[in-house]
Amino acid sequence: MADKTAKYRTEIQQMMYVSGETAEASAETTGMIEEIVRQQVIEMLRQCTEQASRRGSRSISTDDLIFLIRHDVAKVSRLRTFLSWKDVRKNVKDSDDKGGEGDLGTGDEPVGAVAGAPVVDTTKKNKKAKVGLPWEVPSFYNAEVPEREDEEDEDEEEMNYATLQRLKKADERTKVMTKEEYVTWSEYRQASFTFRKGKRFKEWAGFGVVTDSKPNDDIVDILGFLTFEIVQTLTEEALKIKEQEDLGKEKLGGEQQGKKRKFTGLFDPPSEGRTPVETRHIQEAFRRLQQRPNKQRALCNFTRGLNRTPLKLF
Amino acid sequence: MSTNKPFSSARASITQPWPPPTSLLKNSHHPRDDTPARSNTNTPSLPFDDASMAEPGAVIHSEGDIEEEHQKTLFKELYRRSEAKISELFGGVAHGEQVSAQDTSAQQDQLADEPNIREPPKEQAPKKAARTIDEDNYDDEDDDEEEEEDVQTSPLKNKSANALLSPSKSGSSPVSSDTSPTKPTETKQDASTPEEPKSSEDARKELEEERKATEEAAKRSFHTIFYTLENDRVAMLEQQRLEEAEKQINAEMDNSGNTNNSNAKGEQHGTLSSANLGASSLTLKHLIARIDLKREKVKASDAELRALMNEVRKNRSKWASEENVNQEELYEAIEKVLSELKAMTEYSAPFLTRVNKREAPDYYNIIKTPMDLGTMTKKLKQQVYKSKADFVADLDLIWSNCLKYNADIAHPLRRNANSMRKEAEKLIPLIPDLVIRPRAEVEAEERRKQNGGEDDAGDDSDDEPIMSSRGRKAGAKGSSKTRNAAPERDEGTPGVDQKPSLQVNGLLSTLGHEGSDAGFDSNGFGTPPIGSITPSGFNGMPGVGSQADGDIDGPSMNGLSLGQALGAAAEDLREDEEYKIWKQVTKKDRAFVAKERNRLFKGDKLNPEEPALMRSKAGMRRWIRQQKQAQTDTSRPDANGKDEKETGEGADTLAEGMEAEEERVLPDYYDPLSAIPDINPRLQWVEDSDGNVIDQQSEDFLRMIKPGHFTAPKGFLSSKVDANMKQMQETRKLTSKISVIKQMQLQAQMYNNQFPKYEPEPFVEADIEPHVMSDDGPVMAPWVCKAAMQRSVAKLCYHAGFEELQPSALDVITDAAADYFEKLARTINVYREAPQVPAIGAAAVGGKKWQERYTDEEVILHSLSENGIEVEALESYVKDDVERFGGKLGVMHERMKAHLSDLLRPALADNSADGSGQFNDGSEQFVGGDFAEELGEDFFGFKALGLDSEFGMSSLSVPLHLLHAKIHKIGGTGIQAEQATTTDIFPPPTSFEPVTKENLPDQIGLVRNFFLAKLHANEDEPLLEDEDLPTKQKPPKPRLGPTGKITSPRKRPLKEQTGNAKKKKKLDNGTAMDTTPNSKTGGVNASPEKGSVTASAKKLKLGLPNGGPVSMERADSSQGNASQTEKDDVGMISPESIER
Repeated sequence: MADKTAKYRTEIQQMMYVSGETAEASAETTGMIEEIVRQQVIEMLRQCTEQASRRGSRSISTDDLIFLIRHDVAKVSRLRTFLSWKDVRKNVKDSDDKGGEGDLGTGDEPVGAVAGAPVVDTTKKNKKAKVGLPWEVPSFYNAEVPEREDEEDEDEEEMNYATLQRLKKADERTKVMTKEEYVTWSEYRQASFTFRKGKRFKEWAGFGVVTDSKPNDDIVDILGFLTFEIVQTLTEEALKIKEQEDLGKEKLGGEQQGKKRKFTGLFDPPSEGRTPVETRHIQEAFRRLQQRPNKQRALCNFTRGLNRTPLKLF
Repeated sequence: MSTNKPFSSARASITQPWPPPTSLLKNSHHPRDDTPARSNTNTPSLPFDDASMAEPGAVIHSEGDIEEEHQKTLFKELYRRSEAKISELFGGVAHGEQVSAQDTSAQQDQLADEPNIREPPKEQAPKKAARTIDEDNYDDEDDDEEEEEDVQTSPLKNKSANALLSPSKSGSSPVSSDTSPTKPTETKQDASTPEEPKSSEDARKELEEERKATEEAAKRSFHTIFYTLENDRVAMLEQQRLEEAEKQINAEMDNSGNTNNSNAKGEQHGTLSSANLGASSLTLKHLIARIDLKREKVKASDAELRALMNEVRKNRSKWASEENVNQEELYEAIEKVLSELKAMTEYSAPFLTRVNKREAPDYYNIIKTPMDLGTMTKKLKQQVYKSKADFVADLDLIWSNCLKYNADIAHPLRRNANSMRKEAEKLIPLIPDLVIRPRAEVEAEERRKQNGGEDDAGDDSDDEPIMSSRGRKAGAKGSSKTRNAAPERDEGTPGVDQKPSLQVNGLLSTLGHEGSDAGFDSNGFGTPPIGSITPSGFNGMPGVGSQADGDIDGPSMNGLSLGQALGAAAEDLREDEEYKIWKQVTKKDRAFVAKERNRLFKGDKLNPEEPALMRSKAGMRRWIRQQKQAQTDTSRPDANGKDEKETGEGADTLAEGMEAEEERVLPDYYDPLSAIPDINPRLQWVEDSDGNVIDQQSEDFLRMIKPGHFTAPKGFLSSKVDANMKQMQETRKLTSKISVIKQMQLQAQMYNNQFPKYEPEPFVEADIEPHVMSDDGPVMAPWVCKAAMQRSVAKLCYHAGFEELQPSALDVITDAAADYFEKLARTINVYREAPQVPAIGAAAVGGKKWQERYTDEEVILHSLSENGIEVEALESYVKDDVERFGGKLGVMHERMKAHLSDLLRPALADNSADGSGQFNDGSEQFVGGDFAEELGEDFFGFKALGLDSEFGMSSLSVPLHLLHAKIHKIGGTGIQAEQATTTDIFPPPTSFEPVTKENLPDQIGLVRNFFLAKLHANEDEPLLEDEDLPTKQKPPKPRLGPTGKITSPRKRPLKEQTGNAKKKKKLDNGTAMDTTPNSKTGGVNASPEKGSVTASAKKLKLGLPNGGPVSMERADSSQGNASQTEKDDVGMISPESIER
């Protein structure tokens, strides 16, 4: 256990830093976060496997994963962008490898048939492919329509909007940073559970136990992305809670504290130093994130008793 | 009713002859009036009676005869004399004084005056005299004398007879009798049949009838007046007291009387002969009367009859005694009267038991001979009473005791006593005036009489006839006392009709009252102010005329203070006669009902242990009867109607009495337990005379369910959804075509059924069939609702992209959705039913005290939120998932269309500027003829045929689908199907009649031979059209050449030609060969009429370049023999229709 806890400490710390927690979190906190993340990942994998087996497939696909987070527009959009760019990169690499051949041949060949056939038309301009999802309009029909360049999907706009919001948030966060801080920040942004640590991640997340042991590369990447998101959400929530707590404390014990302060010695540590997020904050954040909206409880209205509810993904 | 008549006629007979002399004041006398003269003076004041009486009077004369005439003249004379005397005495004094003077003087005069006066009016006087004597015997107290007199003398009818009142007072009393509801009807009935009351029996009957009539009237008024229940409790308590008293007496009697009773019973059974059948059994009265009437027809002997009667009336009476004659009769009557009196609990309560010494310590000092109803009962049971007189004396003793002890004029108990006395007077005549005598004595007398012959009419009473009624009649005649009733009545009733004079009288009496008041006060009998005032009161409410009329509730009256008593009296004022009667009549039953109800309670709470009150059949029947009665009453208020109804009712009750446990005298609204609710008239089952059900305004309550009840309402959202779905269907059509084309590009060989035609049907929401409902409210049809829900769910699923659904999945979703909606509705309900809160704001201004906790809007919003729906979510659903989704679908459709057209016309896509690239290797430009356009040449001759303009072809090349013949084939079937459906609008023309031998002559001469030959070949069977031939025998249809140019008549496919040649020929022989025998050999089978067409087709064919290889399908057929032309080769299918 301890071993496990230690596994992603730095990454988590970095992620927390990116999410706005500048102080150094204790090992306990990171350990807790790590456990939560792990739990979430395992839950995701489990659900994906279920989904896949319902489809009649033994291995999970990216669609299964995306399906789990389908309601989160921002995430989906980011994932799609990510996947399509990844595709582009791959194709470029391929075409680099094969020379001019790739230009012509790949036009009609569906790439990644498992993943709901994201049609890749990289023929000339290395245009990024759109990642189609099975619950979107084009998949209603059994014929595919060639891409058109001029069309900018409304969905995409929306997704872009979500992405923009996200970027804006990051921008806000980095606005006041010093140069050094920003460097660290941007460096930390690359922190990942999976990047170049695929094997460790697989072990950690229990691949082979929860699902088949050889997941698609895409899936690992997506999970990497999602884990980052999880940590970020958790941290942001925890920070909010801590802020509230501090505010409350100030209100309550402001005077007392002030009196005490007067007698603090000259060599006391500076009081304005930020205290890191603690485990209780994380716990509270987790609790809040697990709260179910009314929508999911609606059918339990007028039925007494507690209904066991599955872990909520976030 | 018939019993009523004699009475009235009697009055009529007496009153009629004298014309109204003065009309005034006389009525003041008549309550105590004993003299015929008085009664005479009274009667004339009936203005209308005179007119109506004229006839009956005449009738009576025949009966009453000369003697009566004589008497009348006598009376007239007498009257005049007395009038003169009076006027002499009083001079010009006011009428009121006259009255009082008359009162006093008349009384003294009566006896002193000529005896002949008294005699003429039919034994009235003697009886009166006896009466007065009687009372003298009993009443020894001076104070009471006058009252007693009053009591005794006042006619039964006269309800207001009040002993306490001054003469002037009593003068007003007849008024009260006026008000009794029975009166009007009675008088009318009276007028109708003249007959004289001959006996006490009749009088009794009359009384009974009268009582009944009162009851009837009260009953009738049930539905006209609504009374409150406030007196019920009192009634109940009183009734309880009565019962207790009775119980007590019984208990007391049990010890002493037990043996007595049993003895009597045993004796009664022993001897039949002694049974006095008619004595007091009113139940058998009619039967007995009937038997009496038809005595000669009845074969049984008297003894037998008696035995039978006894048999029937085994349990009739405990009073029957062998030893004593008349005992049964008398005692039964007495018992009845006694119980009646006791039952009048309103008044009787204080008299039920002996006066307690503790309550009134000095009572026994003042009253030496105490008496009470309980004691009387005891005495009765001990058979102490020997005659009616004994009984009456005891009764009077009670009243007088009371009045004596409670000397205070305002004492409430006096009122009770007076009321009781009045009641008693009403009842007493019911008792036959019999004296109980030992049987031995009677028998001895009888024997003597028989010996001595029938010399004495008076002895008749002792004679026991078989039938009691007869016997009693006889007895009544004999005894002077029993005849009391009739004359008394006589005197009483005229008062009814004297309203005009009465009013004056009343006023006068008040004037005179002052003096009398003072006088009585000294005696301790001062008239209470209320009493004195009332006479002056309005004629309309004469019921208040006497104190006695006021009813005093509660046995606790004893303890009431004077003030309270006065208050009560004042209250009494308000109570009118009707109410009083009502109270009396219904008392017992009211008490019963109240008791029943009371039983259910324990303290203030319902007692769960008590058995519930049940409605009974009898109760419900009664209720219905009363309702019916009420209806007839209101519809026919005239007396006739009432009479009819009453008789009808009588029959009813006779029949129903069998089942009813007891008849209750209660208005229906008093007995809600047995009320039967009205059936909604619209729902009543009404039949006409034929027994068919009449449809009563069924349109009113049967209503059609509005169409659209089970379809989605037309709204923005639903129409959007529908549009989206339609769009999807269209797009799917396109994609199916695209996939076919793509498949064809890949596949060399294809099969006809490889691509199922995608032919989606438009979505139409079927409504339910016209359906009729009988009431408002939602349609309760779970299965229909579920089906509708399923459809909605399926629609949404389709909208979400599913083409098909598994039924089980659909079920699951539907159930979940239904569950969700149910919960939503329940949530709404919870919010709607939230307790109200004190009003604030606008509602408070409006004056409302409370307002709903939530407004409707709040309710909806709360419920939605509680169930996880935010308004934003709904909005975004409509915007994103429906509207924008529709947009996406539209875009998708456009793209699909473009894609399809690209696939169909690839050439259009890449036209290079000079067209030089079009002749690349493998290019099909040449084949398709696309190049021709470039050259401006009408390569295929489309232009020449005008096809380009007709179909709006963009180029003169051969459309791709023609090249891909299989598409055409696939499409072809669809087209045919479509055409078939579209032509359905018109009925298909009737098929041609097949040519047979019979109708051959109808054909024109030219073809007759041709058909004849064909028929021959067909062995005289009817000829078949080509269309009707079996598929295999049909000649193949013409096809368009692969080039698209119309070339020539089609050649028969090679395969067919070679392989089936022989068979074909054979078939041809069979059908169409005979007229052209040379064609039998197979060459050209050109029928004559088609010749020209074939020729032109041939010409075309000649001009045709070899199109064979172009066609994928017809490669072989191009080699076909031109000689194998078919008959109807001319048709062609338009390319346009194929494209469709």
